Amino acid sequence: MARERVSQADEWQAWAQRYDIEGGIRTFESGLTVKVFVGALFVGLLMMPGSIYLSYVSGESGAGAAPWVAVILFTELARRSFTTARRQELYMLLGLTGAAVGSGLQYRNFIWYAYFINTPQAASYEIADKIPAWIVPAGDSVGVLTRSLLHPDWFLPIAVYLAGKLLGTLRFVSGQYILFRLTADLERLPYPMAPISAQGATALAETTGKEETWRWRVFSIGSMAGLIWGFLYIGVPSLTGVMMSQPIQILKIPWIDFTQSIEGFAPTGVFAFRTDFGQMLIGFVMPFPIIMTEFVTAMASQFILNPQILYRFEILHQWKPGLDVRGVGLYNGLDFWMSCNMGKSFSFAIIGMAASIPMLFKLRKSKKRAGERGSFATPPNRGDFPIWLMGAMWLIGMGGFIWLIHWMVPNFPISFLLGYAFLYTPINSYITARTFGVLGRDLFEIPYLHEITFILSRYEEVDIWFAPLPDEDYGRGTQSWRVLELTGTTFTSNLAGTLLIMPILLVSGIVVLHFIWKIAPIPSAQYPFAQMMWPINATNECLWKTSLRDGNSQMLQAIRGDYVAAGFTSSLAIYGILWVFKLPSMWSYGIIGGLGADPGSMVTRLLGAIIGRFYMIKRFGMRRWYMFNPVLAAGFACGVGLIGMGTVAIALVSKAVIVKPF
Amino acid sequence: MEKLASLIIIIGTVLWLFSIIVLEARWQWQMFSALVLTVGIFCAHFWEELRDTDGTGESDGTEESGDE
Repeated sequence: MARERVSQADEWQAWAQRYDIEGGIRTFESGLTVKVFVGALFVGLLMMPGSIYLSYVSGESGAGAAPWVAVILFTELARRSFTTARRQELYMLLGLTGAAVGSGLQYRNFIWYAYFINTPQAASYEIADKIPAWIVPAGDSVGVLTRSLLHPDWFLPIAVYLAGKLLGTLRFVSGQYILFRLTADLERLPYPMAPISAQGATALAETTGKEETWRWRVFSIGSMAGLIWGFLYIGVPSLTGVMMSQPIQILKIPWIDFTQSIEGFAPTGVFAFRTDFGQMLIGFVMPFPIIMTEFVTAMASQFILNPQILYRFEILHQWKPGLDVRGVGLYNGLDFWMSCNMGKSFSFAIIGMAASIPMLFKLRKSKKRAGERGSFATPPNRGDFPIWLMGAMWLIGMGGFIWLIHWMVPNFPISFLLGYAFLYTPINSYITARTFGVLGRDLFEIPYLHEITFILSRYEEVDIWFAPLPDEDYGRGTQSWRVLELTGTTFTSNLAGTLLIMPILLVSGIVVLHFIWKIAPIPSAQYPFAQMMWPINATNECLWKTSLRDGNSQMLQAIRGDYVAAGFTSSLAIYGILWVFKLPSMWSYGIIGGLGADPGSMVTRLLGAIIGRFYMIKRFGMRRWYMFNPVLAAGFACGVGLIGMGTVAIALVSKAVIVKPF
Repeated sequence: MEKLASLIIIIGTVLWLFSIIVLEARWQWQMFSALVLTVGIFCAHFWEELRDTDGTGESDGTEESGDE
């Protein structure tokens, strides 16, 4: 019997509705209130110095859990004050606190280059005297020698940074918004990972109300599971590392490598079992067809394609027996998969355009309601912006940015900058937006793009290595707009919050970093991580910045046109053939995503997907399960984040205590 | 149009396999196959959208469609 064709429109619409927990019916409210703003500033600025300090001492800023701590603190205060907190407020609090905690680290390059310019490595590689003044003042300037970011010597680097920040805000807000409208409103891609953030805020908001619903129970179950798992997986190694020379790992982190065990029958194959069972939660959330096809294709890649075809035909020719997963992965990547993956990611752009251009043509004819696939209409009161305004903002932001770069490096060919800005950036961002919309993650980035550009431009000055390039990616940020929509937070309130807090954070970040630099030189004994790593990093940076002097790079030689074409065409063929045989288009994303990937990294995710599909859905029903699992995942992330922060704090305190020998 | 799109996609796929097996996987032939496939995929999507306009495949967003 002939299979009935389900159009991609119907397929995506159905998946988008599963992840739209309230069935697309919601009211939008502002999340920006005075208490949220002050709360975010208070917690953020309180944690920001610690976050900067920790990053120099231990290499970990601990900023991940800070927003959750702020939200839990906020909800507890609300409960004790007999008031309620709305989910819009809590989601806004999550975002603003995250921005506040991370704001100090935005200036870290100043400290790094103030150190780098006076290193023996920079001198011996003849870079020190070529570092531009818009990155760092001269090595013998007062601002560097007295470790003062508030000295007038730093005026030019800070002014250039602030101009870049302002123009960047214009570009990123507008670029993300336009892509969000295209992928979420027009194409109705499901954004499977967005409900996790949305439901975390919603669950915590309900605790402040009179009636607690299933959300808080499910969130608590997830949090307890996260606390237990976080203790076993992160806590035990961190705490035992304080007392013992070799920390105890209950499960080997991050994987158990079976690559050498399979090399007898599958040479060039990799299989490293990833031990992070938190991935099971992602398996619960992600669409089952994607997880399943991705795993099957990855197995076929590592056990058939690599050993039986690519190795036999000597395409994978650098492999040697006895290599572990990292060695095999590196050689396989250089021999074939890096080029092939580039082609795969380009195919996503073509597939995306093929799906969306006919819809744009059709827009003039049809009058669809907001929330339907193929409709550009916006839901009422979402706080949308006119597309022309966003387009103009992006053009102004990008035009100003190109002018700024041209001012920094006047002899660098401007055609490359224009190509990056108006060709590469839109295509790359659209690819990423689509992969986030379907797979919930980025698929691939083109490696060594800057190096390729510098070679092609025949520009030989070192200053270009210090300049930013307009090769940007707005696709990743589209997910946060989807989360705003799911939490019912108006876009205008989110933008207002971001713009209001930005000047405060720009000033406070530089002041705090100034004082931390004043405490002691960075690196020094007070900052052991920086003391250990920065000299190595300085050597690496010198090697990179001088790597193209002789025009030779192993990485660039690894990119081959025929392999890129193979990845590109095979992905299109897979997509097309599945369409011909009326199979779900989800499969094609799974198959293309799984090509060349390590199946061992997917086992726990697959386990989660199987449990969800064959037990949980039967037990709870599809609708309830799709309501439960993002809340569960949000609770789990909160639990793991809290245990991580707690154990790192204990470890730091114990390291700060000096044990006297008498 | 559906049959035409299917035919173009099948031709593009066969051409690609031919370029891999017989023509030493030269990128020029592979990219030509990619062009044929792109045309086929565009045809397929234009047909899907036009079919929706005719009202023969209008989605009601049922939960079962596109399922495993």
